[in-house]
Amino acid sequence: MTNDELWQAVLAQIQFNVSRANFATWFRNTKILSKNQGEVLISVENSFSKEWLDNKYASLILKILRSLDRDTKAIEFRVALKKPSALSATRGTTKRDEEKERTGGPQLPFQEFTLDIKTNLNPRYTFDNFVVGGFNELAHAAARAVSENPGFVYNPLFIYGGVGLGKTHLLQAIGNRITELSPKRKIKYAPSERFLSSIVEAIRNHSIGELKKSFKDVDVLIIDDVQFFAGKEKSQEEFFHIFNFLYQSQKQIILSSDKTPKAIPSLEHRLRSRFEGGMIADIGSPDFETRLAILKAKCEEKNVELDSKVMEYIVSVVKNNIREIEGALNRLIIFQKINNKAPSPEIAKKLLESLIASPRRTTNFKKIIQVVSNLYDLTEKDLLSTARRKEIVKPRQVAMYLLREELKESYPAIGRRFGGKDHTTVIYAREKIAKELKSDDNLLTELDLIRQRLYTEF
Amino acid sequence: MEIELLTQNLKEGINNVERLTKKSPTLQVLDNTLLEADKNFLKLISTNLETSMIWWVLSKVNREGRVAVPATFLNNLINLIKDNKVKLRSENKNLILEMANQTTQIQGIDPEEFPIIPQIEKKDPIEIEGEQLEQGLSQVVEVPSPSQVRPEISGIYFSFKKDKIKIVGTDSFRLAEKTISLEKKLKKEGQFILPQASGRELVNVLSQKPGPLKIYFEPSQVLFEWPGQEISYPHIHLLSRLIEGEYPNYQEIIPKKYTAQITLKREDFLTQIKEAGLFSGKISEVKLTPIAKSKKIKIFAQSPEVGKNEAYLTAKIESQGEVPEVSFNYRFLVDGLQNIKSSEVILKLSDGEGPGVLRPVGDLSYLYILMPIKAS
Repeated sequence: MTNDELWQAVLAQIQFNVSRANFATWFRNTKILSKNQGEVLISVENSFSKEWLDNKYASLILKILRSLDRDTKAIEFRVALKKPSALSATRGTTKRDEEKERTGGPQLPFQEFTLDIKTNLNPRYTFDNFVVGGFNELAHAAARAVSENPGFVYNPLFIYGGVGLGKTHLLQAIGNRITELSPKRKIKYAPSERFLSSIVEAIRNHSIGELKKSFKDVDVLIIDDVQFFAGKEKSQEEFFHIFNFLYQSQKQIILSSDKTPKAIPSLEHRLRSRFEGGMIADIGSPDFETRLAILKAKCEEKNVELDSKVMEYIVSVVKNNIREIEGALNRLIIFQKINNKAPSPEIAKKLLESLIASPRRTTNFKKIIQVVSNLYDLTEKDLLSTARRKEIVKPRQVAMYLLREELKESYPAIGRRFGGKDHTTVIYAREKIAKELKSDDNLLTELDLIRQRLYTEF
Repeated sequence: MEIELLTQNLKEGINNVERLTKKSPTLQVLDNTLLEADKNFLKLISTNLETSMIWWVLSKVNREGRVAVPATFLNNLINLIKDNKVKLRSENKNLILEMANQTTQIQGIDPEEFPIIPQIEKKDPIEIEGEQLEQGLSQVVEVPSPSQVRPEISGIYFSFKKDKIKIVGTDSFRLAEKTISLEKKLKKEGQFILPQASGRELVNVLSQKPGPLKIYFEPSQVLFEWPGQEISYPHIHLLSRLIEGEYPNYQEIIPKKYTAQITLKREDFLTQIKEAGLFSGKISEVKLTPIAKSKKIKIFAQSPEVGKNEAYLTAKIESQGEVPEVSFNYRFLVDGLQNIKSSEVILKLSDGEGPGVLRPVGDLSYLYILMPIKAS
């Protein structure tokens, strides 16, 4: 007789000696946990049940058990702590519905509370809701491969691409997929900012050893936005050791950044070469069709219907950033909620005007010099000097190009800024960069990056 | 049983334990209170299987014994009694009250049916002044909301560390944190999640019974004990089940960077937010726009059904450059402002869709974080 059957037999007899109300209250969710050398351990739902059964029914239960199994010598009741994880499976959707009920939609919740406490992953990001197109095909395939066989295919996996294109989504999807396939694996996801602050804190509290130890038993380490490691030497060193340890024990490491490891300024050489040692995959800008597919997926997720003209309009004006597409969509949803009708293409145009028109955000000379020198790891002084070393000349030309393109400064004015160079030098620089842009993909990425930083960072 | 006691004391006790009783379809005994006389005390006991209360009343005990009667009925009756002294006697399952000029009989149930209140090991108590706990807890207790999906945040989180007690409540849109600093280092460290209903009950009793308090806890239950004042015997026990689960790592939602810090007169701000709230429509949205130049904050709300409201309040604004407008649910703001008692309040805003933080001026022990509404 199994434990379950034994307990059922006990309950079957007890029900005749107990009132229905008592039976339903005190015997609910009871079961035999274990049977060991005549000692039977019975789990009960709460401490009230424990007291009640212990005081009132212990002898009766023991008698019945003994009649069924003659070896029974003693019984003990124990309050079973429920495992909260039993709920987590259905958490995602119902929770959001609940929130919507309460607040009507646009109220934002604390993002951190939706995260899994152990892994730090957001269960919302999965491969299923990741839209694949030409621009992210490679990254997606690599991510898939890694999630099926972590530690053995591409290690480390390094994904780079611009702001709002889905790097974080992809990284988290890998983590979530691995949890799904093998729940026992320990996954740790950390935005680099949090990783850095935990290092700083550990140094302050003299607990760096403990911190390292906590990383050493993870199976998959995911660090988002590693470009923020730039210039943080001590943190880089600590990370280097953690990286090496995990790598040598064949643990998967996944990193993301807004640029290639080469382009991350003041990243230690040994770290850079390690980042490059596995697989580097990029995420570019999505084409029109993919953007439309993404928007459609978002609409479905949010359960709204939009006119196809409106959708086409959105993706035709928001080109380089999926997050902005979502922002535009949210604006239309709120309109729909308040006015109870779907926005027509004309209204959509009006609603999104500010979103599209305002990005003529401004920049200035100082900012351009700062961003360019930062990207190429030079000092601003070098950049503005007249030195002709090769590693300075090109960045300087890039800066000139940008001053002309972004600020529309006159050639002589630009020349004066760089220690009184002739305007023809500036013209030459601009044309050279413009020409190289057509053939050199690396340069194109670099300029994209500079522009992004010029206009997105504060 | 047969006892004599002061009506006033009985009244106070039954008033409090009665609140816990409830109609339960499966276990009818729960709407009763158990009266138990032993040695020199009458024990009044009520439970709803989540929270339980035992209230000791000093009595002259002639005969020990127990009786269980409907709590609300007994409470209603005792509240009407004018006599200074009352004699209680059990006869079979019934309770008989004898006063100078009247005798009353209340039909009871078998006291053996009454649940047995679980024991807790009294080891390493945490000692705290009741006033301190009441004040702190009442600033947090109404923040959580019942959640079937995430039981762990439906309760109130208590953390005991070094010489600090932290009390936290959240409903995933806003979060309140109170830090109580103690003079002595705690004998025991740890944390637990108290069901909100027990928290409310605790505030309730604390408001009537200030003074020192002892807290004992185990993984599945907690006991709050009020020691007796005249006698070295416990006066009240409030025992509660604890919520299982791990409280989210809430420290991470406290913003580290702010775009603006605005200091306002609390009363004025509260009144103005309430007023704007009347116009805020279905999504309860009020827009705040700090205007650094004119040292004012604009409070704006509108809805197509009602109309609109625009007001300006003088404020001290510390920021770098222009601060974008931000929308909040006015109810969340009102709750936070009502939990704060200082005359001035600081509102800190963070970037974009990051949370806002309310803080009393001159008091670092309280923090109220609230998420904005997505700008429309």
